[in-house]
Amino acid sequence: MKGAFVLLVALALGLAAGLGYAWGVNPVSYTDTSPASLRDDFRSDYLTLVASAYDATGDLPRARARLALFAYADPSPALAALAQQRLAQGWPEAEARALARLAADLQGPPAPSSGSPASPPAAVRTPTPTRTATPVPSPAPTRTPTSTPGAPFRLLAQDPVCDPDLGQPLLQVEVVDAAGLPVPGAEVRVVWDTGQDHFFTGLKPDLGVGYGDFTLAPGITYTVQLVDSDQPVTGLTAGECVADDGTRYAGSWLLRFQQPSR
Amino acid sequence: MKTLVRLFAVLLVGITLGLLYGWLVQPVRYVDTAPGSLRSDYRTDYVLMVAQAYAGDQNLQTAQVRLASLGPQPAADQVTEALTYAVDHGLSRFDLDTLNQLAIALRAAAPTAEIQSP
Repeated sequence: MKGAFVLLVALALGLAAGLGYAWGVNPVSYTDTSPASLRDDFRSDYLTLVASAYDATGDLPRARARLALFAYADPSPALAALAQQRLAQGWPEAEARALARLAADLQGPPAPSSGSPASPPAAVRTPTPTRTATPVPSPAPTRTPTSTPGAPFRLLAQDPVCDPDLGQPLLQVEVVDAAGLPVPGAEVRVVWDTGQDHFFTGLKPDLGVGYGDFTLAPGITYTVQLVDSDQPVTGLTAGECVADDGTRYAGSWLLRFQQPSR
Repeated sequence: MKTLVRLFAVLLVGITLGLLYGWLVQPVRYVDTAPGSLRSDYRTDYVLMVAQAYAGDQNLQTAQVRLASLGPQPAADQVTEALTYAVDHGLSRFDLDTLNQLAIALRAAAPTAEIQSP
């Protein structure tokens, strides 16, 4: 009995000593971690940084490789959701646009990979890099525009939409360029008598990279303008629709913009 | 003596079981870490991304905020460290130049210490 008590006390003392050492003297410090282990807020910042770097360089294979560090089967929806979230939280618009652009561009055909970002050396290597004493300025990377520069977009169609599956009245916007290709990152301004807001195309790539929408409040009249257009659409209100069973619900609008060919 | 041997044997078995469990069954998974703990190659790539974004928007303040996530070290030092890693590991000349541009901008923006006269 006494022997067992001594063993128990020794165990408790050992435990206390171990915990004291582990928590006080030499606590765990995380080093050599991977981006996949980042806390949620840091992860969001990291993904935004990937998008911002892509926005500046247009290097899609590298962006893909950087995103491959995270366990996303398809990172596009996560990026699009993050763009919306950061826009709603008041982060800089440029970041949301970059995220939306990357989300949209990732849905294009995969480009040949140029290596993993996890191992920077695997990126484009130079045989014998040498550091110069005096830094040589390099030309700034060309920024790829998010929408095709040229003539202002024109309103192609303005159609009321009665779709009970939408769940709420929406202002739906589709933007295509002169070739009929969807344009992500196009800014749409929405103004009503007591306020204004804006949104971008491409934040819901599953619905099309040139698509964007905005929830309409019943009874309010809106004016909508694509920022790259000189043609505002006025007097938009959520119309009334009738379902098959006779119930009434607020309808939506679908606006289609296209850039005229020069 | 026999008891001591038995105690030692039990201790060894316990340690072995603990290691097997800790390394194979339930190994440590790092979660909720901060960018400051990133491995040096990821860390370099992080700094490179900051530099690439800076090359696009020329927003030094945003670049400084992003670099601050890596720890209390001055931003210019973070970039210098990344440059050293990049040179040592053969990153492309373009990447080196991009990092260099950010380093130059950070050094130029760094406040100089001034001795105030009474």
